[in-house]
Amino acid sequence: MVVVLLLQHVKHIALLAQWLNQPTPGKVPRGSGLWDQLFALLYRYERVKTREHQQLAKTLVRFRQAGRAHPDGVVILDAENRIDWCNDTAEHHFDLSLDSDGGQPIANLLRQPEFISYIEGADFSSPLELRAARTSAIILSVQIIPYGDSQKLLLSRDVTRLEKLESMRRDFVANVSHELRTPLTVLSGFLETIRELELDPQRSRDYINLMAEQSKRMQRIVDDLLTLSTLESAPSPSLDERIRMAPLLARLRADAAALSGGKHRIVFDAAGDFDLLGSENEIVSALGNLVSNAIRYTPDGGEVRINWRASAAEAEFAVEDSGIGFAPEHIPRLTERFYRVDRGRSRATGGTGLGLAIVKHVLNRHQAALEIQSEPGKGSRFAVCFPARRLVAAAATETAAQDKS
Amino acid sequence: MAQEHSSKQYDIDLETLRSRVLEMGGLVESQIMAAINGLAAGDTRALDHVIVEDHRVNAMEVSIDTDCSHLIARRQPTAGDLRMVLAVIKIVTDLERIGDEAAKIARMGKQGYSQSRMPRTPVAAVKHMGGIGIGMLRKALDALARLDPVSAAAIVREDFEIDEEFRSIVRQLITFMMEDPRTISQALDILWIAKAIERIGDHAKNMAEQVIYVVKGTDVRHTTVEELEREALG
Repeated sequence: MVVVLLLQHVKHIALLAQWLNQPTPGKVPRGSGLWDQLFALLYRYERVKTREHQQLAKTLVRFRQAGRAHPDGVVILDAENRIDWCNDTAEHHFDLSLDSDGGQPIANLLRQPEFISYIEGADFSSPLELRAARTSAIILSVQIIPYGDSQKLLLSRDVTRLEKLESMRRDFVANVSHELRTPLTVLSGFLETIRELELDPQRSRDYINLMAEQSKRMQRIVDDLLTLSTLESAPSPSLDERIRMAPLLARLRADAAALSGGKHRIVFDAAGDFDLLGSENEIVSALGNLVSNAIRYTPDGGEVRINWRASAAEAEFAVEDSGIGFAPEHIPRLTERFYRVDRGRSRATGGTGLGLAIVKHVLNRHQAALEIQSEPGKGSRFAVCFPARRLVAAAATETAAQDKS
Repeated sequence: MAQEHSSKQYDIDLETLRSRVLEMGGLVESQIMAAINGLAAGDTRALDHVIVEDHRVNAMEVSIDTDCSHLIARRQPTAGDLRMVLAVIKIVTDLERIGDEAAKIARMGKQGYSQSRMPRTPVAAVKHMGGIGIGMLRKALDALARLDPVSAAAIVREDFEIDEEFRSIVRQLITFMMEDPRTISQALDILWIAKAIERIGDHAKNMAEQVIYVVKGTDVRHTTVEELEREALG
């Protein structure tokens, strides 16, 4: 009997040892008698623990997912500034890969001297601006936040857009003041001359004419600035207003001829009976601007071609000239306010530096695209593409109007 | 790399050594970038700054070399650790040379701009070539940080690209000089700059070879690309 009992115990102990060796959840052995009670207790304990463990794991996964989805870059650094964990954005910003770079000291991979002195210094109160080394087009704002026992959180935010806006604003203010100061200097110079010196009437009339010219120039700049700001704040032009292209093109042609004064060969070519939907004033000023640019930048005897091609799918208005042209690197910046390919040249021809900025704005408002091609010495081509939704067949409405009348 | 020894301080010393080389690399990276950007933008102040900062690169070279000899004397490293120290000594020399090339680019750029405007087209080509050179250096340093022989082997291939760019700039400069002999002095300045960038590519390639040596234990200098790639991948 004793032997049987002993064997029973030995068997149960072996079972317990076997389970403890590999404690699989839910697989606690079953026993009999006293052992059954013990195993039941163990089973209950194990089940509670397993549930807690799963709960914790789930929470951890949720937190990691939240961290991953964070729009800013997050890197967790340990006491020795090694990478503990990072999210996808941080991987992208710093060109890291958590799988291969985990445990790597961050300074080994982010080697910019500014960053190294930032991380080695103790002052993390303000963020550091950093150009991402791998994709230098990205500007990052990086900040370290110490937490826990000597761990650190490294946050990175893409501030490229902000930085660009800021520099555009700075340039704009500087440009406006510069553009207005030039005529103003001329004005005040002449005023001083007239006040200080006795001038014969002919001279002073000349001076006053020059002054009037400069004040007109200032007027033009202010007008253009106001146009731009109206375009920026006004709602998008409606699709109801119809712009009849045939008379508009005729007007552009007449304006071109008048501006050229017979000094250029103007070739006019229009095909496709389609009208535009949008604001007539705006379109006239945009297209007129392209035409007058072509004439102003083409030396006497050159050729200016005005083309209008319209179909149901899209329409293109293009102005081609055989003028002085410009290098292709200017193209992306050409529609910036006050951007000049050649400072002296455009002011001499009376430009305000805002024309193409206005064109660009008007076209954007009409969902149209501006395509620019140019080659120095050969000439330029400015093409405007209108999308199908801004087009309507001219003939149909003409007849509709006739039907009504 | 530190499996055979148990001294924690030794491990830390080796890690610090590598981190210091990478820090020096970061400084050199920023020097070249500043030199090439300054050149492209005609910013002589930035170019001056590059020339002044060169002494920091030199100081780091001397100090890392001292660290290396101390480590050899005190720890008598073997196997992978020894290879690491030996490679660091070579890499530091390459980095210092690259630093010199950056200062040279800055000096040439300043000289070019002091005389007159640099012709724009070749400067743009030089900037493009500089981008490749900077990329190679960055990848070589990344390979050292990650001890990754595969990406190190890829750098060796890129060196051919930079050599081709160099030849195309030379051709371009020759046509410039033939068209207008007044551009000769500027064209020569640009030629020196392009040559300096081409040298940066060579140094980056040397560094990549050292990374393969550290990880794989084979010396792949002066072998063909195919052999080198076999070593790196095998």
